[in-house]
Amino acid sequence: MSIDTIQVRVTAIAEVAPAIREFTLAPVGGELLPFSPGSHVVVEMPAEPRPHRNAYSLLSDPRESGSYRIAVRRQETSRGGSIYMHESVAVGDELSITPPANLFSPAWSARKHLLVAGGVGITPFMSYLPELERRGANFELHYLYRSSSTGAYREQLEQTLGERCFLYDSEAGNRCELGTLLADQPRGTHVYICGPETLIAGVHEVAQSLGWPESHIHYEAFAAPQPGNPFEVELARSGVTLNVDADSSLLEVLEGAQVQVPNLCRGGVCGQCQTRVLSGDVEHRDEFLSAAEREQGESIMPCVSRAAGKRLVIDL
Amino acid sequence: MPDEPLIKSRPTYTEVSLRPNTQKHLFVSTAQSLSRIRSLYEAAPKGEKALYLFGKPEVTDLGTECGSLSELDVVINALPLASAVYVAGDEGFLWDVHNLAEKAGLASEQIQLLAPESNKRRLFCTHCYAITEEVTYSPHACSGCGRLLLVRDHYSKLHGAYVGVQINAEDPADIPETEELV
Ligand code: FES
Repeated sequence: MSIDTIQVRVTAIAEVAPAIREFTLAPVGGELLPFSPGSHVVVEMPAEPRPHRNAYSLLSDPRESGSYRIAVRRQETSRGGSIYMHESVAVGDELSITPPANLFSPAWSARKHLLVAGGVGITPFMSYLPELERRGANFELHYLYRSSSTGAYREQLEQTLGERCFLYDSEAGNRCELGTLLADQPRGTHVYICGPETLIAGVHEVAQSLGWPESHIHYEAFAAPQPGNPFEVELARSGVTLNVDADSSLLEVLEGAQVQVPNLCRGGVCGQCQTRVLSGDVEHRDEFLSAAEREQGESIMPCVSRAAGKRLVIDL
Repeated sequence: MPDEPLIKSRPTYTEVSLRPNTQKHLFVSTAQSLSRIRSLYEAAPKGEKALYLFGKPEVTDLGTECGSLSELDVVINALPLASAVYVAGDEGFLWDVHNLAEKAGLASEQIQLLAPESNKRRLFCTHCYAITEEVTYSPHACSGCGRLLLVRDHYSKLHGAYVGVQINAEDPADIPETEELV
């Protein structure tokens, strides 16, 4: 990772839901940077053959910057980052993280904040809530989970938020009627969604059909890069050719070859990693490029997107 | 935080169209601009629209007369979340209504402004903060302090006005040539 990474030590691990572990990270010498509600860090895990790098929301109160806390849901089908965190990280271990970055900050001008969390998607809201309380903001939390695997912090949330906390345990048959929820909101409400893509898409669609203004709909999805077909990439400036195997992202392969590419989200949303394509077709998997930009085919977001064919030449 | 973002150039106005999935369409127009907004108003679904007029319109069977911006504010503050506001009139008026709607929690994509009905500008004096209405040429004397102001193309959304700066501060006897504003 780049030079400005921070070394942290895991000082506590807690099981906060059957499939979710919370990690407390304290600085190894020095101090941690303050952060704003909705921030995340990218955690680098020293796995073989290549390190995992996953983005996790900071879930502590932004005012307590003595340590950071993150929560990781074990994803059996993922490429291993979450399994590594669950199985190979112990109290006392050191990890490197990036400084906090924020791609999901609350719109403070909102008249009301409607927070919709699905499963481990509760994490960014854990840093929103203390700040919303301090500002006396009008808000509601709607938290959808499956009690056999997720639902972290729900007792604590229910206790501190009282009637502003709405819990929906799908295993107990509690469903959240999105249509009713979104239709009932006053003018000037902003909705924030964090959770599985299906939840984000669902809320987004319903809100749009109910005439919600697009700029009042906020969401955060850290889609981990999905595997794809292997391909070859040629770096035009150095003439080097690299192989991207099925399980690695282009960004990971570039990093493995010590080629620095700026990145913040590693999930195709922030736009930081945009790279010029000189030849070859791209299979776009990001949420950043516009339809027109995809059409032009001059850019790729290497954190998630891949070559559509066997070979790609990029301007690096 | 800067409380008054200055747009570097003049605001631009694009084609206005009915917003889909809207529960309430609110049309606000000066009497003079009614003819320009009328067809859009008529195209909006019955029962889901309202028209508020400022000034005495020629056709009186249309809309509700509205005496002041504070009266309009009450109307705007009763709008549901899925609303759209369409405004026609002078540029200063457009932004007055825009700012009311924004303060009431509407998103900017819910507020559409028709191109101003004339090139009359509202002028904001950066020296005495007075507002001078219906300015069509530059330089123009400030209605507050009388200074001769150069009408700049910098638009203040907050005041719904163009910024005016004294042009002959060094020598008040030096009166530059007058230019018609476009
Ligand atoms: S790192 Fe954010 S889009 Fe690639």
